[in-house]
Amino acid sequence: MTAALLLLTLAQPFAAAGPAAECRALAHRGRNIEAQNCFSALVRRPDAWARAEGLWGLGRYREANDEFRRAVAERPRDPDCRVRWGRLLLERFNPGEAAELFQEALQLRKDHPGALVGLALVAAEGFEQKAVELAERALAADPGAIEARVLLARMALEDGDAARAVQEADRALAAWPEALEAMAIRAAVEWLEDREPSAWIQRALAVHPRYGRIYAVGARFLVLNRRYEDGVRLYRKAVELDPALWDVRSELGLNLMRLGRDAEARRELELAYENGYRNAATVNALRLLDSARNFLLLDAGRFTLKLHRKEAAWLRPYVEQEATRALATFQKKYGVTLKEPVRIELYPDHEDFAVRTLGMPGLGALGVTFERAVAMDSPTARKPGTFHWAGTLWHELNHVVVLAAVNNRAPRWFVEGLAVWEETQASPEWGERLTPDVIAAIRDRKLLPVAQLDRGFVRPSYPGQVVVSYFQAGKLCEYIASQWGFDALRRMLRAFGERKTTPEVVREVLALPPEELDRRFQSWLDGQLRRTLEGFPVWRERMKRLAEAARAGRHDEVIREGPAVRDLYPEYVEAGSAYELLAGAYLATGDKEAARQELERYARAGGRDPALLRQLAELEATSGRKREAVAALERLLYVAPGDEEVHRRLGDLLLELGEAEQAIREYRAVLALGPSDVAAAHYHLARACRAARRLEEAREHVLAALEAAPGYRPAQKLLLELNP
Amino acid sequence: MRAWLVALLALPVQAATYWVVLAGLGGEPDYEQRFSSWAREAEKLARGSTGEVHVSTLAGKDATAERIRALFADLARRVRPEDSFVLLLIGHGTFDGYQYKFNIPGPDLSGEDLAALLDRITATRQLVVNTTSASGASVETLRKPGRIVITATKSGMEKNATVFARYWIEALRDPAADTDKNETVSALEAFRYASQKTARFYESQRRLATEHPLLEDTGQGGGVRSPAPEEGSGRLAAAFPLVRFGRAQAAARDPARRALLARKEELEQKIDLLKYQKAAMDSAEYRKQLTALLVELARVNEELEK
Repeated sequence: MTAALLLLTLAQPFAAAGPAAECRALAHRGRNIEAQNCFSALVRRPDAWARAEGLWGLGRYREANDEFRRAVAERPRDPDCRVRWGRLLLERFNPGEAAELFQEALQLRKDHPGALVGLALVAAEGFEQKAVELAERALAADPGAIEARVLLARMALEDGDAARAVQEADRALAAWPEALEAMAIRAAVEWLEDREPSAWIQRALAVHPRYGRIYAVGARFLVLNRRYEDGVRLYRKAVELDPALWDVRSELGLNLMRLGRDAEARRELELAYENGYRNAATVNALRLLDSARNFLLLDAGRFTLKLHRKEAAWLRPYVEQEATRALATFQKKYGVTLKEPVRIELYPDHEDFAVRTLGMPGLGALGVTFERAVAMDSPTARKPGTFHWAGTLWHELNHVVVLAAVNNRAPRWFVEGLAVWEETQASPEWGERLTPDVIAAIRDRKLLPVAQLDRGFVRPSYPGQVVVSYFQAGKLCEYIASQWGFDALRRMLRAFGERKTTPEVVREVLALPPEELDRRFQSWLDGQLRRTLEGFPVWRERMKRLAEAARAGRHDEVIREGPAVRDLYPEYVEAGSAYELLAGAYLATGDKEAARQELERYARAGGRDPALLRQLAELEATSGRKREAVAALERLLYVAPGDEEVHRRLGDLLLELGEAEQAIREYRAVLALGPSDVAAAHYHLARACRAARRLEEAREHVLAALEAAPGYRPAQKLLLELNP
Repeated sequence: MRAWLVALLALPVQAATYWVVLAGLGGEPDYEQRFSSWAREAEKLARGSTGEVHVSTLAGKDATAERIRALFADLARRVRPEDSFVLLLIGHGTFDGYQYKFNIPGPDLSGEDLAALLDRITATRQLVVNTTSASGASVETLRKPGRIVITATKSGMEKNATVFARYWIEALRDPAADTDKNETVSALEAFRYASQKTARFYESQRRLATEHPLLEDTGQGGGVRSPAPEEGSGRLAAAFPLVRFGRAQAAARDPARRALLARKEELEQKIDLLKYQKAAMDSAEYRKQLTALLVELARVNEELEK
């Protein structure tokens, strides 16, 4: 539901609606027939603004827009009319042009409260920090600006600050006891705290007997707190009470889709669409549901996998293996047994994943968890080497287990922090690296206090703060585990499940005030990263010189300087890292062993460039280290699993090592990837099957190889061996 | 496909293959280096093929219109009708809506210029592999009965630098390109290999594909992206050996083994026939017959190897 709609009924004293003040007041009290008559009368009025308001109230948005254009031409110095036009555009999915109108209104009248509220609503849609400032400016200009007050309440609740939300909502209600949206905020606080807000519902329905939005607002906050099932339940109540809440039906549909209930989702989204609610999210979601035929739904016991047809055959075993491993690990660690299967959806087109998640393209995340459903990018959604799909899968499955343990009641920082930390517990090579952005944030003391860390995820105040917050949360969990043991994290989780706040949990479990935890954590982090933090400026300079030396082919200089540069910032494994330059220099000077060792260091530090990992595998293999070569290629399966050559090479090595069953998996992947050399793919699979004593399968594949290429000598020899 | 491969084995024993590799202007050092290294690699691989092979390469500043014309004039005297002729164009191409041009130092060569040069070569079996950008626009001017034309792009409107050449050259050295395992990579096999690798390149890089290779060998069409000899396209290409790396040719020349070779060909044809009947057969029966034929073929090959 858009912010504009949330606040639609709050135009008290309705003066801002200009000619439509009376009609809006009727609508506010749910007197719909009278309100419709009122809007119809406006349409017959001679002035364009009145006609625009009337048409808007009747849902004739295009005509209303045209009339507003005329109205603004008739009233070139009137900021109020512009603000109303802006509100229409904001309601009808055009925040960009709405913002322009609000800005024009502000040029006509500095600090116009309606324009400031309009801009605050636009900013609030994007969870921007400036929304708070704009709402406060609106209140400064007009202390009776109820909408601004309610918006502050809403944003406080989005930030997890229920006390402030209650305070702001109560101030709105004190100014206007019929402020329905303020009642909705109060009800939402109750639902979030697992209480039934009967009194608030009763009070709202006394004003507007079919005020379904009270449930919709609550649903929105439950969803924001990852309580999708509870959110869906309330969305349903909202449309039961007022079936014509098309925007709410759209939200219900989107959340049903998030939970993997596609058929129900489609019904609700189609209802919204057919009744004129055609925002981008609704249209995108319907399009995505139409593409369902491109996906396979696979029953894998404890999982239901939704994989794209073009990659299901080769991807499934790897996803299944990692999912099984992750779930077993987490269920044991957190003492949870999931009763229902987990749904895992992988999208080869990132924008499909984004629409699946938000209804809109442009999502920065790699994976999202909706209770028992995980949606994420498929490994093929991103350039090879840029996405560790297994790390993301472990991260999301950690959410599934952790949130199940506390019935979805834990702050975002803790849930994300645990998942980030668990990635590195699965393997120290996994997880995100320490990036220059994070280094800068630590150096500039931009880390948030633990009690406010959720804000860094929800309403970032500088670019990159979300990434920094993930890093901080992960490190905080690492710190707690290192100082108090993993059991402390488990006890914290339990306490959060009992609806305790972060300061309460820190005090109870760690026996510290949160400020003391912040202080000790910062000191621990400084100690851990001191070398990198202090060496960073020097590293940047020396790295530049090292890259120049490498470009100029001064290999001796690279070999001489490289190790020291590398050790100043060993976490740096991006393109052109010291590891890469050193390995290149060693190879150029014929020192394969040193190159191999350098690339091993690179891989252990979390380096993921497929070309370098492939080079490492070859260096390991040629130096007779087949096990290490296998390990290098297995790393590639996590960052570039769609490469046929990787599977073939891995299959060959595994077969040489006598691990026929593992080799079978790799050769099957080659076959499923649609190789150009089908005959060879079948032949290698036949060899592995024979080694695993699966003779019937071996015969089948050698026959398939020779069917494709009857003159294929190695396959002919194998055929004779299998058919003596 | 066996019928066309039988034609391949029936090639005149004395026939030679002439290659001309032209690498045009890169425009910037990275492309210059890439084009000339591809040209060198192609030359090396072509020379490595068994049989009589002649390769001429002009790359970078040497690839002027004047020198290219001189080279073709010389080849027009040497190449005989029974020989095979391969022209490989590497570099940038342009299309202005009317005319395709291969970018070289000095005046470019148009599609018509290239067609005129090729028409002077008497070899009845010709292969032109135009891997440049916009090369799709050259199909119409280069096509001719008896000539296979392969382009990196489907039209003159695909103007970005291409990667097709890289995979075409890879096909000349990767045994995986020899999909029927007859120790020869045909033009059709190389085309399929390079097309697939090109498509995969764009998929894996998450980039919109800006090249869609075409093959034309009927002398009259606009080229197809998925040639199928059964349906008429790709027949010439299937019978055009690009590189041979096995002993198949040597065996063909040994009179002592002719009976075995005849039996081998007979079995191969039977297998082909059986494969065509597969859809109409009971699967168990098909499998039984196929196994029997393949086992016998394997034994014949074993004898041939002794």
